Amino acid sequence: MISKDDVVKIATLAKLDISGQEELFASLFSQTIDYIKILEELDTKDVAETYQVTGLVNVFQQGLENRATLTKEEVLQNAKEVTNGLISTKGVFDRE
Amino acid sequence: MKQLNELTIIEALEGLKQKTFTSVALTQACFEQIEKYDDVVKAFVTLVKDRALAEAEEADLLINSHGPEIFEEKPLLGIPYACKDNYSTKGVQTTASSNMLKGYIPPYESTVTQKLKDAGAVMLGKTNMDAFAHGSSTETSDFFKTINPWNKNKVPGGSSGGSASAVMSDMCIFSTGSETAGSIRGPAAWCGASGFKPTYGRVSRYGVVAMASSTDSPGPIAKTIEDASYVLKIIAGKDPLDATSSPTEVEDYFANLNNIDLSKIKIGKPKSYFEIELEPGVREKVEQAIEKFKELGAQIVEMDLLSPKYSIGVYTILQRSEVSSNLARLDGIRYGNDRTNFGFESKKRIMLGTYTLSAGYYDAYYSKAQKVRTLIVDDFNKAFNEVDMIIGPTMPCVALNLGDPEKSPMFGELMDVLAEPSAIAGLPGISIPCGLSDNMPVGVQLIGKHFDENKLGAVAYAFQKATDYHLNKPNLEGLK
Repeated sequence: MISKDDVVKIATLAKLDISGQEELFASLFSQTIDYIKILEELDTKDVAETYQVTGLVNVFQQGLENRATLTKEEVLQNAKEVTNGLISTKGVFDRE
Repeated sequence: MKQLNELTIIEALEGLKQKTFTSVALTQACFEQIEKYDDVVKAFVTLVKDRALAEAEEADLLINSHGPEIFEEKPLLGIPYACKDNYSTKGVQTTASSNMLKGYIPPYESTVTQKLKDAGAVMLGKTNMDAFAHGSSTETSDFFKTINPWNKNKVPGGSSGGSASAVMSDMCIFSTGSETAGSIRGPAAWCGASGFKPTYGRVSRYGVVAMASSTDSPGPIAKTIEDASYVLKIIAGKDPLDATSSPTEVEDYFANLNNIDLSKIKIGKPKSYFEIELEPGVREKVEQAIEKFKELGAQIVEMDLLSPKYSIGVYTILQRSEVSSNLARLDGIRYGNDRTNFGFESKKRIMLGTYTLSAGYYDAYYSKAQKVRTLIVDDFNKAFNEVDMIIGPTMPCVALNLGDPEKSPMFGELMDVLAEPSAIAGLPGISIPCGLSDNMPVGVQLIGKHFDENKLGAVAYAFQKATDYHLNKPNLEGLK
Protein backbone atom coordinates (compact mmCIF):
# COMPACT_ATOMS: atom_id res chain seq x y z
CA MET A 1 0.00 0.00 0.00
CA ILE A 2 1.33 3.40 -0.95
CA SER A 3 0.30 6.10 1.51
CA LYS A 4 -0.48 9.72 0.89
CA ASP A 5 2.76 10.60 2.73
CA ASP A 6 4.80 8.34 0.42
CA VAL A 7 3.35 10.07 -2.60
CA VAL A 8 4.06 13.53 -1.22
CA LYS A 9 7.68 12.53 -0.52
CA ILE A 10 8.15 11.15 -4.04
CA ALA A 11 6.61 14.28 -5.57
CA THR A 12 9.07 16.42 -3.59
CA LEU A 13 12.00 14.28 -4.78
CA ALA A 14 10.82 14.56 -8.39
CA LYS A 15 10.12 18.29 -7.97
CA LEU A 16 6.48 17.95 -8.93
CA ASP A 17 3.48 19.77 -7.56
CA ILE A 18 0.60 17.39 -6.87
CA SER A 19 -1.26 19.46 -4.29
CA GLY A 20 -4.94 18.61 -4.08
CA GLN A 21 -4.42 15.32 -5.90
CA GLU A 22 -2.45 13.40 -3.26
CA GLU A 23 -5.23 10.84 -2.64
CA LEU A 24 -5.77 10.25 -6.35
CA PHE A 25 -2.08 9.69 -7.01
CA ALA A 26 -1.80 7.34 -4.01
CA SER A 27 -4.68 5.24 -5.29
CA LEU A 28 -3.44 5.04 -8.92
CA PHE A 29 0.05 4.33 -7.64
CA SER A 30 -1.16 1.39 -5.54
CA GLN A 31 -3.14 -0.06 -8.47
CA THR A 32 -0.05 -0.01 -10.67
CA ILE A 33 2.22 -1.48 -7.96
CA ASP A 34 -0.33 -4.25 -7.40
CA TYR A 35 -0.25 -5.12 -11.10
CA ILE A 36 3.50 -5.28 -11.43
CA LYS A 37 3.68 -7.79 -8.58
CA ILE A 38 2.82 -10.29 -11.33
CA LEU A 39 6.58 -10.52 -11.97
CA GLU A 40 7.01 -12.33 -8.66
CA GLU A 41 5.44 -15.38 -10.34
CA LEU A 42 8.66 -15.83 -12.33
CA ASP A 43 11.81 -17.26 -10.79
CA THR A 44 14.81 -15.05 -11.62
CA LYS A 45 17.26 -16.37 -9.00
CA ASP A 46 20.11 -17.14 -11.41
CA VAL A 47 19.10 -14.78 -14.18
CA ALA A 48 21.27 -11.80 -15.15
CA GLU A 49 19.78 -8.39 -15.98
CA THR A 50 19.50 -7.20 -19.59
CA TYR A 51 20.21 -3.52 -20.11
CA GLN A 52 21.21 -3.48 -23.78
CA VAL A 53 19.28 -5.74 -26.12
CA THR A 54 21.39 -5.76 -29.29
CA GLY A 55 24.64 -6.70 -27.55
CA LEU A 56 26.61 -3.48 -27.99
CA VAL A 57 29.31 -2.94 -25.36
CA ASN A 58 31.75 -0.09 -24.71
CA VAL A 59 30.92 2.11 -27.69
CA PHE A 60 33.54 4.85 -27.93
CA GLN A 61 33.88 7.81 -30.27
CA GLN A 62 36.35 7.14 -33.08
CA GLY A 63 38.39 10.28 -33.68
CA LEU A 64 36.43 13.38 -34.59
CA GLU A 65 33.38 11.84 -36.19
CA ASN A 66 31.10 13.64 -33.76
CA ARG A 67 31.34 17.27 -34.74
CA ALA A 68 27.90 18.28 -33.51
CA THR A 69 28.15 21.52 -31.62
CA LEU A 70 26.13 24.65 -30.95
CA THR A 71 27.14 28.30 -30.99
CA LYS A 72 26.80 30.32 -27.80
CA GLU A 73 23.81 32.14 -29.30
CA GLU A 74 22.11 28.84 -30.09
CA VAL A 75 22.68 27.54 -26.58
CA LEU A 76 21.23 30.70 -25.04
CA GLN A 77 18.31 31.19 -27.42
CA ASN A 78 15.84 29.13 -25.34
CA ALA A 79 17.09 30.09 -21.87
CA LYS A 80 14.58 31.78 -19.58
CA GLU A 81 17.05 34.32 -18.24
CA VAL A 82 20.47 35.31 -19.54
CA THR A 83 22.96 37.50 -17.67
CA ASN A 84 26.24 38.61 -19.29
CA GLY A 85 26.05 35.80 -21.83
CA LEU A 86 25.39 33.15 -19.16
CA ILE A 87 22.25 31.29 -18.18
CA SER A 88 20.87 32.59 -14.88
CA THR A 89 19.55 30.10 -12.36
CA LYS A 90 18.04 30.39 -8.94
CA GLY A 91 20.47 29.95 -6.07
CA VAL A 92 21.06 26.32 -5.27
CA PHE A 93 22.20 26.78 -1.68
CA ASP A 94 20.42 28.73 1.03
CA ARG A 95 17.06 27.65 -0.27
CA GLU A 96 14.30 26.92 2.17
CA MET B 1 -8.06 8.83 -60.72
CA LYS B 2 -6.28 9.53 -57.44
CA GLN B 3 -5.81 13.07 -56.13
CA LEU B 4 -2.12 13.95 -55.79
CA ASN B 5 -2.26 13.88 -51.98
CA GLU B 6 -3.66 10.34 -52.12
CA LEU B 7 -0.57 8.95 -53.84
CA THR B 8 1.91 6.59 -52.25
CA ILE B 9 5.62 7.48 -52.22
CA ILE B 10 6.32 5.13 -55.12
CA GLU B 11 3.48 6.58 -57.22
CA ALA B 12 4.43 10.18 -56.37
CA LEU B 13 8.09 9.57 -57.27
CA GLU B 14 7.03 8.21 -60.64
CA GLY B 15 4.93 11.32 -61.34
CA LEU B 16 7.76 13.65 -60.32
CA LYS B 17 10.28 11.76 -62.46
CA GLN B 18 7.95 11.81 -65.48
CA LYS B 19 7.12 15.47 -64.73
CA THR B 20 3.41 14.62 -64.74
CA PHE B 21 3.15 17.05 -61.82
CA THR B 22 5.48 19.15 -59.69
CA SER B 23 6.46 18.87 -56.05
CA VAL B 24 4.81 22.24 -55.50
CA ALA B 25 1.50 20.84 -56.82
CA LEU B 26 1.92 17.73 -54.67
CA THR B 27 2.71 19.80 -51.57
CA GLN B 28 -0.19 22.17 -52.26
CA ALA B 29 -2.56 19.21 -52.63
CA CYS B 30 -1.51 18.03 -49.15
CA PHE B 31 -2.10 21.48 -47.67
CA GLU B 32 -5.51 21.69 -49.38
CA GLN B 33 -6.45 18.40 -47.71
CA ILE B 34 -5.13 19.66 -44.37
CA GLU B 35 -7.09 22.90 -44.73
CA LYS B 36 -10.22 20.94 -45.59
CA TYR B 37 -10.15 18.33 -42.84
CA ASP B 38 -7.62 19.09 -40.12
CA ASP B 39 -10.02 21.27 -38.15
CA VAL B 40 -11.87 18.00 -37.47
CA VAL B 41 -9.04 15.42 -37.52
CA LYS B 42 -6.56 17.64 -35.62
CA ALA B 43 -3.53 15.64 -36.71
CA PHE B 44 -1.09 18.57 -36.78
CA VAL B 45 0.22 20.73 -33.93
CA THR B 46 2.42 22.88 -36.19
CA LEU B 47 2.30 23.57 -39.93
CA VAL B 48 5.16 25.11 -41.90
CA LYS B 49 3.48 25.91 -45.21
CA ASP B 50 5.84 28.63 -46.48
CA ARG B 51 8.92 26.60 -45.65
CA ALA B 52 7.40 23.48 -47.24
CA LEU B 53 6.47 25.26 -50.45
CA ALA B 54 9.97 26.76 -50.66
CA GLU B 55 11.47 23.26 -50.23
CA ALA B 56 9.10 21.93 -52.90
CA GLU B 57 10.10 24.70 -55.28
CA GLU B 58 13.75 23.87 -54.70
CA ALA B 59 12.99 20.22 -55.42
CA ASP B 60 11.30 21.14 -58.69
CA LEU B 61 14.32 23.22 -59.71
CA LEU B 62 16.62 20.27 -59.04
CA ILE B 63 14.40 17.89 -61.01
CA ASN B 64 14.33 20.33 -63.93
CA SER B 65 18.05 20.96 -63.93
CA HIS B 66 19.28 17.40 -63.21
CA GLY B 67 16.59 15.15 -64.66
CA PRO B 68 15.46 11.86 -63.11
CA GLU B 69 19.06 10.87 -62.14
CA ILE B 70 18.77 13.28 -59.20
CA PHE B 71 16.49 10.75 -57.46
CA GLU B 72 19.43 8.37 -57.08
CA GLU B 73 21.13 10.94 -54.90
CA LYS B 74 17.92 12.25 -53.33
CA PRO B 75 15.48 9.33 -53.13
CA LEU B 76 12.66 11.33 -51.51
CA LEU B 77 13.07 14.51 -53.52
CA GLY B 78 9.89 16.59 -53.44
CA ILE B 79 7.89 14.10 -51.35
CA PRO B 80 5.81 15.79 -48.60
CA TYR B 81 5.71 14.14 -45.18
CA ALA B 82 4.35 14.74 -41.70
CA CYS B 83 6.74 14.56 -38.74
CA LYS B 84 5.85 13.45 -35.23
CA ASP B 85 6.39 16.36 -32.86
CA ASN B 86 9.06 14.58 -30.79
CA TYR B 87 11.69 14.90 -33.55
CA SER B 88 13.91 17.91 -32.99
CA THR B 89 13.59 20.18 -36.04
CA LYS B 90 15.92 23.15 -36.19
CA GLY B 91 13.98 26.40 -36.29
CA VAL B 92 10.59 24.66 -36.09
CA GLN B 93 8.79 24.43 -32.75
CA THR B 94 9.18 20.99 -31.17
CA THR B 95 6.97 20.29 -28.18
CA ALA B 96 6.34 16.53 -27.99
CA SER B 97 2.76 17.87 -27.57
CA SER B 98 3.63 19.05 -24.06
CA ASN B 99 3.15 22.37 -22.30
CA MET B 100 6.62 21.80 -20.85
CA LEU B 101 8.18 22.35 -24.28
CA LYS B 102 5.59 24.76 -25.66
CA GLY B 103 7.44 27.52 -27.50
CA TYR B 104 10.72 25.58 -27.70
CA ILE B 105 12.52 26.17 -30.99
CA PRO B 106 15.36 23.61 -31.25
CA PRO B 107 18.80 24.84 -32.31
CA TYR B 108 19.60 21.46 -33.86
CA GLU B 109 18.13 18.80 -36.14
CA SER B 110 17.45 15.14 -35.29
CA THR B 111 19.38 12.60 -37.33
CA VAL B 112 16.21 11.14 -38.88
CA THR B 113 14.81 14.49 -40.04
CA GLN B 114 18.29 15.47 -41.27
CA LYS B 115 18.44 12.27 -43.34
CA LEU B 116 14.97 12.95 -44.74
CA LYS B 117 16.01 16.53 -45.55
CA ASP B 118 19.17 15.29 -47.27
CA ALA B 119 17.02 12.84 -49.25
CA GLY B 120 14.93 15.79 -50.47
CA ALA B 121 11.73 15.17 -48.48
CA VAL B 122 9.46 18.17 -47.81
CA MET B 123 8.27 18.55 -44.21
CA LEU B 124 4.67 19.78 -44.00
CA GLY B 125 4.49 20.13 -40.23
CA LYS B 126 4.60 18.37 -36.89
CA THR B 127 1.96 15.93 -35.73
CA ASN B 128 0.11 15.54 -32.46
CA MET B 129 1.01 12.79 -30.00
CA ASP B 130 0.50 11.80 -26.40
CA ALA B 131 2.55 14.37 -24.45
CA PHE B 132 6.13 13.03 -24.28
CA ALA B 133 4.68 9.88 -25.94
CA HIS B 134 3.07 8.90 -22.61
CA GLY B 135 0.04 7.08 -23.89
CA SER B 136 -1.59 4.95 -26.53
CA SER B 137 -4.48 7.14 -27.63
CA THR B 138 -3.01 10.62 -28.36
CA GLU B 139 -5.53 11.86 -25.80
CA THR B 140 -2.85 12.86 -23.31
CA SER B 141 -1.56 15.55 -25.67
CA ASP B 142 -1.47 18.76 -23.65
CA PHE B 143 -2.98 20.63 -26.62
CA PHE B 144 -5.96 18.76 -28.10
CA LYS B 145 -7.20 15.32 -29.05
CA THR B 146 -6.69 13.89 -32.52
CA ILE B 147 -9.56 11.80 -33.85
CA ASN B 148 -9.49 8.58 -35.81
CA PRO B 149 -10.28 9.42 -39.46
CA TRP B 150 -12.53 6.33 -39.63
CA ASN B 151 -14.84 7.59 -36.90
CA LYS B 152 -14.72 10.94 -35.15
CA ASN B 153 -15.79 9.38 -31.84
CA LYS B 154 -12.78 7.06 -31.77
CA VAL B 155 -9.14 7.60 -30.79
CA PRO B 156 -6.43 7.12 -33.42
CA GLY B 157 -4.23 5.16 -31.01
CA GLY B 158 -0.88 6.46 -29.90
CA SER B 159 1.45 7.77 -29.18
CA SER B 160 2.04 8.47 -32.92
CA GLY B 161 -1.70 9.14 -33.40
CA GLY B 162 -1.31 12.38 -35.35
CA SER B 163 1.11 10.74 -37.78
CA ALA B 164 -1.18 7.75 -38.45
CA SER B 165 -4.26 9.99 -38.80
CA ALA B 166 -2.46 12.34 -41.19
CA VAL B 167 -1.39 9.43 -43.40
CA MET B 168 -4.83 7.83 -43.56
CA SER B 169 -6.51 11.23 -44.13
CA ASP B 170 -4.18 11.69 -47.12
CA MET B 171 -2.83 14.91 -45.65
CA CYS B 172 0.69 13.73 -46.44
CA ILE B 173 2.43 11.05 -48.49
CA PHE B 174 4.04 9.40 -45.46
CA SER B 175 4.92 10.23 -41.86
CA THR B 176 7.44 9.54 -39.15
CA GLY B 177 6.45 7.98 -35.84
CA SER B 178 8.40 6.53 -32.96
CA GLU B 179 7.77 3.48 -30.85
CA THR B 180 8.74 2.62 -27.30
CA ALA B 181 6.22 -0.21 -27.11
CA GLY B 182 3.36 -0.04 -29.58
CA SER B 183 3.47 3.63 -30.57
CA ILE B 184 4.04 2.93 -34.28
CA ARG B 185 2.25 -0.41 -34.63
CA GLY B 186 -0.75 0.57 -32.48
CA PRO B 187 -1.89 3.73 -34.28
CA ALA B 188 -1.02 2.14 -37.64
CA ALA B 189 -3.37 -0.75 -36.76
CA TRP B 190 -6.18 1.46 -35.45
CA CYS B 191 -6.05 3.85 -38.43
CA GLY B 192 -5.45 1.22 -41.14
CA ALA B 193 -1.90 2.32 -42.03
CA SER B 194 1.30 0.31 -42.48
CA GLY B 195 3.79 0.86 -39.65
CA PHE B 196 7.37 -0.36 -39.48
CA LYS B 197 8.98 -0.45 -36.02
CA PRO B 198 12.65 -1.21 -36.64
CA THR B 199 15.06 -3.13 -34.43
CA TYR B 200 16.23 -1.07 -31.44
CA GLY B 201 19.34 0.79 -32.63
CA ARG B 202 18.57 0.37 -36.35
CA VAL B 203 17.46 4.01 -36.57
CA SER B 204 19.23 6.76 -34.61
CA ARG B 205 17.47 8.24 -31.59
CA TYR B 206 19.57 11.42 -31.76
CA GLY B 207 17.27 14.42 -31.44
CA VAL B 208 14.16 12.42 -30.61
CA VAL B 209 12.66 13.54 -27.28
CA ALA B 210 13.50 10.59 -25.06
CA MET B 211 10.86 8.46 -23.40
CA ALA B 212 12.39 5.08 -22.49
CA SER B 213 15.87 5.17 -23.97
CA SER B 214 16.41 1.40 -23.87
CA THR B 215 13.48 0.72 -26.23
CA ASP B 216 12.78 3.99 -28.16
CA SER B 217 12.76 3.22 -31.90
CA PRO B 218 11.99 5.85 -34.54
CA GLY B 219 10.32 4.54 -37.70
CA PRO B 220 7.91 5.25 -40.56
CA ILE B 221 4.11 5.10 -40.83
CA ALA B 222 2.97 4.90 -44.44
CA LYS B 223 0.15 3.96 -46.81
CA THR B 224 1.85 0.70 -47.84
CA ILE B 225 4.62 -1.50 -46.49
CA GLU B 226 6.44 -0.84 -49.75
CA ASP B 227 6.59 2.86 -48.83
CA ALA B 228 7.53 2.16 -45.22
CA SER B 229 10.42 -0.06 -46.35
CA TYR B 230 11.53 2.62 -48.78
CA VAL B 231 11.71 5.23 -45.99
CA LEU B 232 13.29 2.84 -43.48
CA LYS B 233 16.24 2.22 -45.76
CA ILE B 234 16.86 5.98 -45.91
CA ILE B 235 16.65 6.70 -42.17
CA ALA B 236 18.44 3.55 -40.91
CA GLY B 237 22.12 3.26 -40.04
CA LYS B 238 24.89 3.80 -37.52
CA ASP B 239 25.02 7.33 -36.18
CA PRO B 240 28.06 8.62 -34.26
CA LEU B 241 25.64 10.86 -32.36
CA ASP B 242 23.77 7.87 -30.89
CA ALA B 243 26.06 5.37 -29.19
CA THR B 244 23.27 2.78 -29.11
CA SER B 245 22.76 2.88 -32.89
CA SER B 246 23.98 -0.30 -34.53
CA PRO B 247 26.93 -0.73 -36.90
CA THR B 248 25.11 -3.69 -38.53
CA GLU B 249 24.98 -3.06 -42.26
CA VAL B 250 21.74 -1.57 -43.63
CA GLU B 251 20.20 -3.74 -46.32
CA ASP B 252 18.14 -2.36 -49.20
CA TYR B 253 14.76 -3.21 -47.67
CA PHE B 254 12.95 -1.75 -50.66
CA ALA B 255 14.92 -3.43 -53.45
CA ASN B 256 14.62 -6.77 -51.63
CA LEU B 257 10.85 -6.70 -51.21
CA ASN B 258 10.33 -9.25 -53.99
CA ASN B 259 13.32 -11.28 -52.95
CA ILE B 260 11.48 -13.92 -50.96
CA ASP B 261 10.17 -17.45 -51.37
CA LEU B 262 7.26 -17.77 -48.97
CA SER B 263 7.35 -21.56 -49.11
CA LYS B 264 10.65 -21.33 -47.22
CA ILE B 265 9.20 -19.11 -44.50
CA LYS B 266 8.04 -20.52 -41.17
CA ILE B 267 5.75 -18.22 -39.21
CA GLY B 268 5.13 -18.94 -35.54
CA LYS B 269 1.67 -18.43 -34.09
CA PRO B 270 2.10 -18.06 -30.31
CA LYS B 271 -0.79 -19.60 -28.38
CA SER B 272 -0.39 -17.03 -25.59
CA TYR B 273 -1.03 -14.14 -28.02
CA PHE B 274 -4.40 -15.64 -28.90
CA GLU B 275 -5.33 -16.68 -25.34
CA ILE B 276 -5.67 -13.10 -24.10
CA GLU B 277 -9.03 -11.42 -24.43
CA LEU B 278 -9.38 -10.52 -28.11
CA GLU B 279 -12.38 -8.82 -29.67
CA PRO B 280 -14.14 -11.43 -31.86
CA GLY B 281 -13.85 -9.23 -34.98
CA VAL B 282 -10.10 -8.82 -34.44
CA ARG B 283 -9.61 -12.55 -33.88
CA GLU B 284 -11.55 -13.35 -37.05
CA LYS B 285 -9.64 -10.92 -39.29
CA VAL B 286 -6.25 -11.98 -37.95
CA GLU B 287 -7.12 -15.68 -38.39
CA GLN B 288 -8.14 -14.88 -41.97
CA ALA B 289 -4.80 -13.12 -42.52
CA ILE B 290 -3.00 -16.20 -41.21
CA GLU B 291 -4.97 -18.35 -43.67
CA LYS B 292 -3.89 -15.98 -46.43
CA PHE B 293 -0.22 -16.40 -45.48
CA LYS B 294 -0.75 -20.17 -45.62
CA GLU B 295 -2.35 -19.83 -49.03
CA LEU B 296 0.67 -17.81 -50.17
CA GLY B 297 2.89 -20.73 -49.23
CA ALA B 298 4.15 -19.85 -45.75
CA GLN B 299 4.20 -22.54 -43.10
CA ILE B 300 2.29 -21.60 -39.94
CA VAL B 301 3.48 -23.28 -36.75
CA GLU B 302 1.62 -23.16 -33.43
CA MET B 303 4.12 -22.37 -30.70
CA ASP B 304 4.55 -21.50 -27.05
CA LEU B 305 5.77 -18.09 -26.00
CA LEU B 306 5.83 -16.57 -22.51
CA SER B 307 2.52 -14.89 -21.70
CA PRO B 308 2.60 -11.23 -22.75
CA LYS B 309 1.04 -10.35 -19.36
CA TYR B 310 4.55 -10.42 -17.85
CA SER B 311 5.73 -7.91 -20.40
CA ILE B 312 3.14 -5.46 -19.13
CA GLY B 313 4.83 -5.62 -15.72
CA VAL B 314 8.36 -5.35 -17.14
CA TYR B 315 7.46 -2.56 -19.50
CA THR B 316 5.60 -0.55 -16.87
CA ILE B 317 8.63 -0.58 -14.55
CA LEU B 318 11.31 0.02 -17.20
CA GLN B 319 9.41 2.73 -18.98
CA ARG B 320 8.38 4.66 -15.84
CA SER B 321 11.95 4.41 -14.48
CA GLU B 322 13.54 5.64 -17.69
CA VAL B 323 10.89 8.36 -18.03
CA SER B 324 11.64 9.69 -14.54
CA SER B 325 15.33 9.82 -15.38
CA ASN B 326 14.90 11.35 -18.84
CA LEU B 327 12.42 13.99 -17.72
CA ALA B 328 14.54 14.95 -14.71
CA ARG B 329 16.61 17.07 -17.09
CA LEU B 330 13.66 19.34 -17.85
CA ASP B 331 14.21 22.16 -15.40
CA GLY B 332 12.86 25.08 -17.41
CA ILE B 333 16.17 26.93 -17.06
CA ARG B 334 18.07 26.18 -20.26
CA TYR B 335 14.99 25.59 -22.40
CA GLY B 336 11.32 24.70 -21.97
CA ASN B 337 9.04 25.69 -19.15
CA ASP B 338 9.14 24.95 -15.43
CA ARG B 339 8.04 21.66 -13.92
CA THR B 340 4.56 22.87 -12.96
CA ASN B 341 3.74 22.41 -16.65
CA PHE B 342 3.88 18.62 -16.62
CA GLY B 343 0.51 17.04 -17.38
CA PHE B 344 -1.21 14.50 -15.14
CA GLU B 345 -0.02 11.44 -17.09
CA SER B 346 3.61 12.58 -17.07
CA LYS B 347 3.52 13.31 -13.35
CA LYS B 348 2.10 9.86 -12.69
CA ARG B 349 4.87 8.19 -14.70
CA ILE B 350 7.71 10.30 -13.30
CA MET B 351 6.59 9.56 -9.76
CA LEU B 352 6.27 5.82 -10.22
CA GLY B 353 9.68 5.73 -11.89
CA THR B 354 11.21 7.78 -9.09
CA TYR B 355 9.82 5.21 -6.66
CA THR B 356 10.95 2.09 -8.56
CA LEU B 357 14.47 3.50 -8.88
CA SER B 358 14.74 4.65 -5.27
CA ALA B 359 17.02 3.06 -2.69
CA GLY B 360 15.34 0.09 -1.08
CA TYR B 361 12.99 -0.56 -3.98
CA TYR B 362 15.46 -0.76 -6.87
CA ASP B 363 16.06 -4.50 -6.49
CA ALA B 364 12.41 -5.37 -6.02
CA TYR B 365 11.28 -3.48 -9.09
CA TYR B 366 13.87 -2.21 -11.59
CA SER B 367 16.37 -5.02 -11.18
CA LYS B 368 13.61 -7.66 -11.12
CA ALA B 369 12.14 -6.21 -14.34
CA GLN B 370 15.53 -6.29 -16.08
CA LYS B 371 15.89 -9.96 -15.10
CA VAL B 372 12.46 -10.85 -16.45
CA ARG B 373 13.49 -8.96 -19.57
CA THR B 374 16.30 -11.50 -19.94
CA LEU B 375 13.73 -14.31 -19.73
CA ILE B 376 11.68 -12.63 -22.47
CA VAL B 377 14.76 -12.19 -24.70
CA ASP B 378 15.76 -15.85 -24.17
CA ASP B 379 12.19 -16.94 -24.90
CA PHE B 380 12.26 -15.14 -28.28
CA ASN B 381 15.73 -16.49 -29.10
CA LYS B 382 14.46 -20.00 -28.51
CA ALA B 383 11.42 -19.31 -30.70
CA PHE B 384 13.58 -17.98 -33.54
CA ASN B 385 15.50 -21.26 -33.59
CA GLU B 386 12.26 -22.79 -34.84
CA VAL B 387 10.59 -20.04 -36.89
CA ASP B 388 11.56 -17.07 -39.09
CA MET B 389 9.02 -14.70 -37.63
CA ILE B 390 6.00 -14.48 -35.35
CA ILE B 391 2.46 -13.45 -36.22
CA GLY B 392 -0.33 -12.08 -34.05
CA PRO B 393 -2.92 -9.34 -33.71
CA THR B 394 -1.38 -5.87 -33.27
CA MET B 395 -4.05 -4.70 -30.83
CA PRO B 396 -6.59 -6.77 -28.86
CA CYS B 397 -9.53 -4.68 -30.17
CA VAL B 398 -10.35 -1.99 -32.73
CA ALA B 399 -9.95 1.70 -31.81
CA LEU B 400 -11.69 2.68 -28.57
CA ASN B 401 -14.06 5.58 -28.06
CA LEU B 402 -12.62 8.94 -27.08
CA GLY B 403 -12.55 9.17 -23.29
CA ASP B 404 -12.30 5.41 -22.64
CA PRO B 405 -8.51 5.35 -22.20
CA GLU B 406 -8.73 7.68 -19.20
CA LYS B 407 -10.58 5.02 -17.23
CA SER B 408 -7.51 2.88 -16.45
CA PRO B 409 -4.19 4.03 -14.94
CA MET B 410 -2.43 1.47 -17.13
CA PHE B 411 -4.56 1.82 -20.25
CA GLY B 412 -1.61 2.12 -22.61
CA GLU B 413 0.22 -0.85 -21.15
CA LEU B 414 -2.88 -3.04 -21.39
CA MET B 415 -3.68 -1.99 -24.97
CA ASP B 416 -0.09 -2.45 -26.08
CA VAL B 417 0.17 -5.90 -24.49
CA LEU B 418 0.88 -7.57 -27.84
CA ALA B 419 3.61 -5.10 -28.81
CA GLU B 420 5.39 -5.00 -25.46
CA PRO B 421 7.26 -8.34 -25.46
CA SER B 422 8.93 -7.60 -28.81
CA ALA B 423 9.59 -3.97 -27.87
CA ILE B 424 11.27 -4.98 -24.60
CA ALA B 425 13.45 -7.42 -26.57
CA GLY B 426 14.25 -4.73 -29.18
CA LEU B 427 12.84 -6.77 -32.05
CA PRO B 428 11.54 -5.29 -35.31
CA GLY B 429 7.80 -5.44 -36.00
CA ILE B 430 5.37 -4.50 -38.72
CA SER B 431 1.67 -3.79 -38.49
CA ILE B 432 -0.37 -3.98 -41.67
CA PRO B 433 -4.14 -3.74 -42.13
CA CYS B 434 -6.04 -7.04 -42.55
CA GLY B 435 -9.64 -5.92 -42.90
CA LEU B 436 -12.38 -4.03 -41.11
CA SER B 437 -14.42 -4.97 -38.07
CA ASP B 438 -17.46 -2.73 -37.38
CA ASN B 439 -16.05 -0.49 -40.10
CA MET B 440 -12.83 0.05 -38.12
CA PRO B 441 -9.42 -1.21 -39.30
CA VAL B 442 -7.79 -4.30 -37.78
CA GLY B 443 -4.01 -4.74 -37.86
CA VAL B 444 -1.98 -7.93 -38.03
CA GLN B 445 1.63 -7.82 -36.87
CA LEU B 446 4.76 -9.67 -37.85
CA ILE B 447 7.70 -9.77 -35.44
CA GLY B 448 11.19 -10.71 -36.60
CA LYS B 449 14.68 -11.37 -35.33
CA HIS B 450 17.03 -8.48 -34.61
CA PHE B 451 18.00 -6.74 -37.89
CA ASP B 452 15.76 -9.02 -39.96
CA GLU B 453 13.78 -6.08 -41.39
CA ASN B 454 14.49 -7.35 -44.90
CA LYS B 455 12.60 -10.60 -44.50
CA LEU B 456 9.87 -8.99 -42.43
CA GLY B 457 9.20 -6.32 -45.07
CA ALA B 458 9.21 -8.84 -47.90
CA VAL B 459 6.68 -11.13 -46.19
CA ALA B 460 4.38 -8.19 -45.40
CA TYR B 461 4.74 -6.98 -48.98
CA ALA B 462 3.76 -10.41 -50.33
CA PHE B 463 0.57 -10.11 -48.25
CA GLN B 464 -0.21 -6.61 -49.57
CA LYS B 465 0.40 -7.71 -53.16
CA ALA B 466 -2.17 -10.48 -52.72
CA THR B 467 -4.77 -8.44 -50.81
CA ASP B 468 -6.26 -4.95 -50.93
CA TYR B 469 -6.90 -4.22 -47.24
CA HIS B 470 -4.24 -1.50 -47.34
CA LEU B 471 -6.28 0.29 -50.02
CA ASN B 472 -9.26 0.78 -47.65
CA LYS B 473 -9.64 4.46 -46.88
CA PRO B 474 -11.90 6.28 -44.42
CA ASN B 475 -14.72 8.48 -45.71
CA LEU B 476 -13.61 11.91 -44.54
CA GLU B 477 -16.79 13.61 -45.71
CA GLY B 478 -18.58 11.59 -43.02
CA LEU B 479 -16.53 13.35 -40.33
CA LYS B 480 -18.00 16.76 -40.98
